[in-house]
Amino acid sequence: MNQMLLRAGLLSLAACFRVIAAAPLPAEHLTVTAMPPVNAHRIYIVDEAFNNEIDARVHVFDGDTFRRLGQLDAGYYPTYNLSPDGKTSAIGTSYFARGGHGARTDVVEFADNQTLALTHEIILPPKRAHTLPTPFGLAYSADGRFVYVAYVTPAASFGVLDPAKATVLGEIDTAGCVLVIPSGPNRVSSICESGKLLTVTLDEKGNEASRAFSDAFFDPDADPVFVQGIPMSGGYAFVSFLGDVHEVDFTGAQPLLRKPWPLVTGADKGRWRPGGTQPGAISSPMHRLYVSMHQGGEGSHKNAGTEIWVFDTVSHQRIARWPMRAHKLSDVLALQVSQDEAPLLFAATNQADLAVFDALTGQLRHIEPKMGQTPWFMHNP
Amino acid sequence: MSKSPIDKIGEQLTRTLAGYSSRRGFIAKLGAVLAAAPLLPLLPVARAATATAPKTDFERNAQTKDDTKCTYWKYCAADGVMCSCCGGGSHTCPPGAEPSPVSWIGTCLNPDDNRSYIIAYRDCCGTPVCKAGKSCQCDGADRELPTYRAPLNNDIIWCFGNASATYHCSTAALVGLSGT
Repeated sequence: MNQMLLRAGLLSLAACFRVIAAAPLPAEHLTVTAMPPVNAHRIYIVDEAFNNEIDARVHVFDGDTFRRLGQLDAGYYPTYNLSPDGKTSAIGTSYFARGGHGARTDVVEFADNQTLALTHEIILPPKRAHTLPTPFGLAYSADGRFVYVAYVTPAASFGVLDPAKATVLGEIDTAGCVLVIPSGPNRVSSICESGKLLTVTLDEKGNEASRAFSDAFFDPDADPVFVQGIPMSGGYAFVSFLGDVHEVDFTGAQPLLRKPWPLVTGADKGRWRPGGTQPGAISSPMHRLYVSMHQGGEGSHKNAGTEIWVFDTVSHQRIARWPMRAHKLSDVLALQVSQDEAPLLFAATNQADLAVFDALTGQLRHIEPKMGQTPWFMHNP
Repeated sequence: MSKSPIDKIGEQLTRTLAGYSSRRGFIAKLGAVLAAAPLLPLLPVARAATATAPKTDFERNAQTKDDTKCTYWKYCAADGVMCSCCGGGSHTCPPGAEPSPVSWIGTCLNPDDNRSYIIAYRDCCGTPVCKAGKSCQCDGADRELPTYRAPLNNDIIWCFGNASATYHCSTAALVGLSGT
């Protein structure tokens, strides 16, 4: 017994010496985490924060590591876009002097996407359109020289900005046509109530040089299109409420309207419909169109999708249906896909969860719960 | 001479519509009709509700008794928080909020008389969004159209011309019978 007590005493003593001998933990200093380099799988999620509307954000998320990288402050009903080189975020927003009321300031704020730090801003006239996000509330010219911002007062027009000089160059009336669809270095198209496109060509100083109307590319009374145009090689695809795809080629001086093709045929026509706040996404390298689909009738175009349908954009054939219930996911409001050859499909649900899929197989890679409050639109490089 | 509430709504709608549309457009024609509208006018609206059209999901569940529920018949094209759950009513703003002078419009089928009515939806503004229960967070979109048909669009924050442009809640005022 005495030997046991002696041994225990020696062990305790040794433990004490070890504690005393070990180096103390170093002091910690607060620094800012460095962002990983921009890659094809980074995504920028516009969170309208509907229930706290003056406090919208843009969440930055990495689809490879499933890490939240940071966020940008986005104010009230923002319009957001990336610069053509992907290095800059442009956030068109509004602030009020007393938080939820007071004098209104409309502004475009620019942030460095490698640090998420604000770099500069351009104060706008108080005309910026307050509405749901589209790719066309704020947009860059292809060479990055101009930024266009959609105005609604409720008269429709748009502002032309010089981001390098941080100035507003002017305002162009659009005769009732809305939004800013950019093409080339100096063209802006807007969607008109008749289903036509108004294209304004700018001169070197950002003033209007000419304007022209296209033929109607859809019938707003019979089958309206969503204004959330889907970027594709050389232009945008506009999906209609009943599920026709209207592709518009914007590479020329005037838009080229391609023959529409259907997502839904036969008995499913009118029963299965696209819907949500960002109904579709296109992988240009892989020729895939992803659409959020639901069963519903007239008035259901804002419904989130119970399935994602996958189409070949060359053959126009449906190649897969991916039901969200299989993954215990709620319905999908917004879709985006990365533009590389190992594409990821991002799906934001009406419960604010973000699902990441292998866009080629539909295999679920990750579910990020509660990716903000109302993640209604996603952008990527 | 003071104007009737209907005349005032017609005038406001006309101003809104004129601001949006080309002079040749259908919306401008609708605005002209509304400007001259007598009490309970018959109003032509494209994509209007009709008694003979198949009922929408909303219309199958619509009711006329409780304006604090999203199923209330006038809310068929109302997307937002309904003011009736925020201290106001289906066509009154809550205290402390300011009515927007302009509106978007819809046509809703009344399940009691099976008639379609034009509804003017106006936002109440000047203080942040009302935190109501889910029963008043509505997403009616019958015959609703995107922003290129702005007077029929409920995604726009209709707080134009207000002291503050913040959105608080939405109202639904009956304007008249739909003429289609």
